[in-house]
Amino acid sequence: MIYWGGNPAECHPRHFTKYTLTQKGRFVPLGRKGRTMVLVDIRETPSAKAADLFLQIRPGKDFEMATALRAIVKGHPVDTALVEETGLTVAQLQDLADRMKRAKFGVIFFGMGLSMTRGKHMNSGAILTLAAEMNAFTKFVCMPMRGHGNVTGADVVLRYTTGYPFGVSLSRGFPRFNPGEFSTIDLLVRGDTDAALILGADPGATMPQPAIDHLSRIPTIVLDPKVTHTSRLARVHITTAPTGISAPGTVYRMDEVPLPLRPALASPFPTDEEVIRRIRLAVAARPAWEPPAHVTMAIA
Amino acid sequence: MLRITGGKVYDPANGIDGVIKDIYIDGGRIVAPADEGPGAEARGAKAARAIDARGMLVFPGGVDVHTHVAGGALNFARGLVPENQRAARKFLHTKDRRAGLGGMTPTTFATGYLYAGMGWTTVNEAAVPVLTAKHTHEELHDTPIVDKSALLLMANNEMVLDLLEAGEVERARHVVAWHIWAAKVYGVKAVNPGGVAAWKWGKNANALHETFEGYSTLTPAKIIADLAHIVDQLQLPHPLHLHCNNLGVPGNVATTVETMKVLEGRRAHLAHLQFHAYGGDGWSNMRSEAAAVADAFNRHTNLTCDAGAVLFGDAVTITADGPWQHLLYQLTGRKWGNLDVENETGCGIVPYVYKDRSLVNAVQWAVGLELMLLITDPWRVFLTTDHPNGGCFWRYPEIVQLLMDVEFRKEQVRRLPEAAQQRIVLGDLDRQYSLFEIAIITSAGPARALGMSNKGHLGVGADADVAIYPEQPDKDGFLFSYPRYVLKGGEIVVEEGDVIGGSEGREFIVRPEYDAAIEAYIRPLFQQAYTISFDNYPVELERLRHPEQVNLPSTPA
Amino acid sequence: MITLTLKEPPSVPLEAEVLSPDVTAELSNDAIRALPVYLGKRQRRVDDFFDVDGASSDQITIHGDASRVKWIGRAMTRGRIRVDGNAGMHLGAYMSGGAIDVSGNASDWVGAEMSGGAIRIGGNAGGQIGAAYRGSNTGMRDGTILVGGGAGLEVGMRMKRGIIAIGGPVRDFAGLQMKGGTIVLGSGAELRTGAWMMRGTIISLRQLPLMPTFLYAATYVPGFLRIYSAYLERLGFTLPCSEQQGAYQRYTGDTSVPGKGEILIWAPRGA
Repeated sequence: MIYWGGNPAECHPRHFTKYTLTQKGRFVPLGRKGRTMVLVDIRETPSAKAADLFLQIRPGKDFEMATALRAIVKGHPVDTALVEETGLTVAQLQDLADRMKRAKFGVIFFGMGLSMTRGKHMNSGAILTLAAEMNAFTKFVCMPMRGHGNVTGADVVLRYTTGYPFGVSLSRGFPRFNPGEFSTIDLLVRGDTDAALILGADPGATMPQPAIDHLSRIPTIVLDPKVTHTSRLARVHITTAPTGISAPGTVYRMDEVPLPLRPALASPFPTDEEVIRRIRLAVAARPAWEPPAHVTMAIA
Repeated sequence: MLRITGGKVYDPANGIDGVIKDIYIDGGRIVAPADEGPGAEARGAKAARAIDARGMLVFPGGVDVHTHVAGGALNFARGLVPENQRAARKFLHTKDRRAGLGGMTPTTFATGYLYAGMGWTTVNEAAVPVLTAKHTHEELHDTPIVDKSALLLMANNEMVLDLLEAGEVERARHVVAWHIWAAKVYGVKAVNPGGVAAWKWGKNANALHETFEGYSTLTPAKIIADLAHIVDQLQLPHPLHLHCNNLGVPGNVATTVETMKVLEGRRAHLAHLQFHAYGGDGWSNMRSEAAAVADAFNRHTNLTCDAGAVLFGDAVTITADGPWQHLLYQLTGRKWGNLDVENETGCGIVPYVYKDRSLVNAVQWAVGLELMLLITDPWRVFLTTDHPNGGCFWRYPEIVQLLMDVEFRKEQVRRLPEAAQQRIVLGDLDRQYSLFEIAIITSAGPARALGMSNKGHLGVGADADVAIYPEQPDKDGFLFSYPRYVLKGGEIVVEEGDVIGGSEGREFIVRPEYDAAIEAYIRPLFQQAYTISFDNYPVELERLRHPEQVNLPSTPA
Repeated sequence: MITLTLKEPPSVPLEAEVLSPDVTAELSNDAIRALPVYLGKRQRRVDDFFDVDGASSDQITIHGDASRVKWIGRAMTRGRIRVDGNAGMHLGAYMSGGAIDVSGNASDWVGAEMSGGAIRIGGNAGGQIGAAYRGSNTGMRDGTILVGGGAGLEVGMRMKRGIIAIGGPVRDFAGLQMKGGTIVLGSGAELRTGAWMMRGTIISLRQLPLMPTFLYAATYVPGFLRIYSAYLERLGFTLPCSEQQGAYQRYTGDTSVPGKGEILIWAPRGA
């Protein structure tokens, strides 16, 4: 298994012990000894202690390394000097490719070190394509190590109701998708919205300053169990019951397995769902605006 | 009380073949005519609305016996093809309707509108993994109007396979029954038995009577025979629903015919039979063996099947047959998605285009139609495209035309490449389906095969699911594309081609009998092999907002 | 000639695919004024935002800072649009004929999935020029896009045919997954140019960092360059092609696909 651009020992602390490294499986009866773990990262994090092989890659070179690997796996030539700019040699990549081919079942877990650094979705695309192409040689799969909260659940539900995982616009009455145009940071940085409702996130703490400035300018509504950075610049903050602790629901694990949430503690606050329902009903009761009856052109 | 007057009624289950008669509906069901029987005056007084169906055809609502419209695999596919969503039919948000997108992998709301918009009112989701069944139920709940059922993937479930290899069929029966109730589903699905388990090793199970990776004596044939036996023993309303080994492979006719032999003495339903009726031994000499398959099928009267017909144009292949999908990826060289479900099954997704210039695709197109024409009993072969694998369900009207109009069909055959015409027999077939037979293969037959006694007919007591079509097709020329009215449970949901809302539809489920002690067997094995807690595994009944439990002969009270 | 003068920049993006010669060619002035545009989710009229002069013409001039006006020239097949100012996203997307001229800057997705016609941007453009929309197999299928200033990410992504020429600096992934056609980089580009290329030609007049999956082939002046040079010269873009001035270093790749694309990097004589 290859962990690439992530630090599971600290960011997904149960991953090794519950799922990947130390479990004895029916077909991996030796447990840890029956597995080879490779860590690819720009620095030696605590996760490196668990690795059989640590490949220290230079920052911003993941796309190049994954692309070079794709060529090496297929036996195609690469430029030696340019490969070495990644911080690794052709020999190291060839060794990795050989180990991957010898595996009975390989997996690459990739983290935000890839998806959030220069290249973004193409870094993820490079790893996914590498894993897909490995199936010509042996069984290989690939998975993103996702962030906290129910980000996977939001992705799943958006996909089945709108057809798209994120960056969805319903402004023309039907779902449209275009990251960079309809994704949150871009909308806020460009100032393309004139109101915002924030649920289950704290952009006031994480987003670029122009985005935060825009949130301060427009009417911003926050639903959160806590008063957050965003709450402090918002027009309205509504305290809601924390999901999983006081509010029920379903959460989707990183691999899209649905799990029920059984709240343990009561809360004096309404759930997010109750609040949204009440807002929606209040908006629907306003007669002022009708959606257009037709779409005049097939905009996409 | 609602009356449908003056329409030409097709109700094959009750022997009605184009008879002009009135249909009476009350309380969501078909009732006896108002001017007959006890309480007639009271009923007559209640007659509130009449639908004038003169010059129209009246059908029982369509029943799709095999489709993929909800759950993890389909949702994965949605994410893989945003370009399809961009080109898809758009459903605008209105007071009565949710926004959505049609196309090959419709969003949940759009799925209900598209089916109802065609006159189909019951939909059987053909593949549900136990582990993610909660997700499937959420999507089915969000699929408006139509009633639903779902089939549970069992033929690569390692707990079950271990028992079958050990010869413990009796215990396996309890385990299967427990899983059916845990997942809150209607029946059992087997996909490429053994092959998807082997795919966890990157391998497949190509030989019916040979074992496969991870096992030492168990064969696909044994899985098939044992599961069919178990389903019969549990007295489920629908027999084992089987996607045979070697789907899509040239020469797989041998596997299909041999599978029918394995199933002798048992009920079974063969899924998307078109994909399993090929001759030749490679892509270059692949040809139709629909005649041989139909011949064997006609002789095996214990079986039903659905066509899985192919239509030229865009499709998205989505199946639990992981190894086949990897092969298709290598052939097309484009997109591929793969999901393995721990201990249970998997899925593969490959967008695909069926081209009339391709010899292979031309043969596939012909085979589906040949099967529907050469299988003699319309009560045993049903109209499907294995949506979205062979084509989209909302293109069923095109297949109806090909079955009913022999001149049109032969004209399409003549447009195929000459070399393709040599490999098929479709050009020689003169049979034309009548409306009566169309009503059987799209409604009455699948309802009967699914064991849904209140569906697929318009007799007294049936659910009032009715589709009313103009006698002559309009617009693009397909009958069934634009019903004038569609009723679901007695409520008008489509009027003049427009979906006008409608309620949420029910989910049919069964609770087969099993020994409660089997849970003590399952729990420790589960905790050892799975990565979630056993208590989180079953689907809570409350998660299904409108479950309808169908009683089995031996359902516990 | 139809002249549209933006009264003031819209507060949120305005979707105006009706601003296309195909739409306005046969319409009266009143009809043009009443055409629907979308301010966020609200349907409004063209004349809520623009003063409108003229009628029944496939020649359109837009005055003002239309950087928030999206979809100008969408799917046009004829005529001409001149923007005296800036233009918003999706300018000329899906176009198959006619011409668009923008004096100022343009945004992302200029000429996305176009199949013919010509677009010229005087200032800077954004990313995804002549590109495929997300998930789509193919971008620009033919046509010409010229940008005087710089451009953003994924210029010419998955393009199949046609020419894109950018005068100023270009960001990462120019020519990503290219299938054919030509991209000219007047001031070079940042990272990952030509990544995963299958076919096509990228010509850079400055040195470029290259992917490790591109291999040096030769240094020369390819014959076809003279033709391209003459063509681009007529459009105001200079492409050196004389052996007196220098030569091109040819790199082939991307070997990971494997692809048969080429990157030609200009090496001036004496440099």
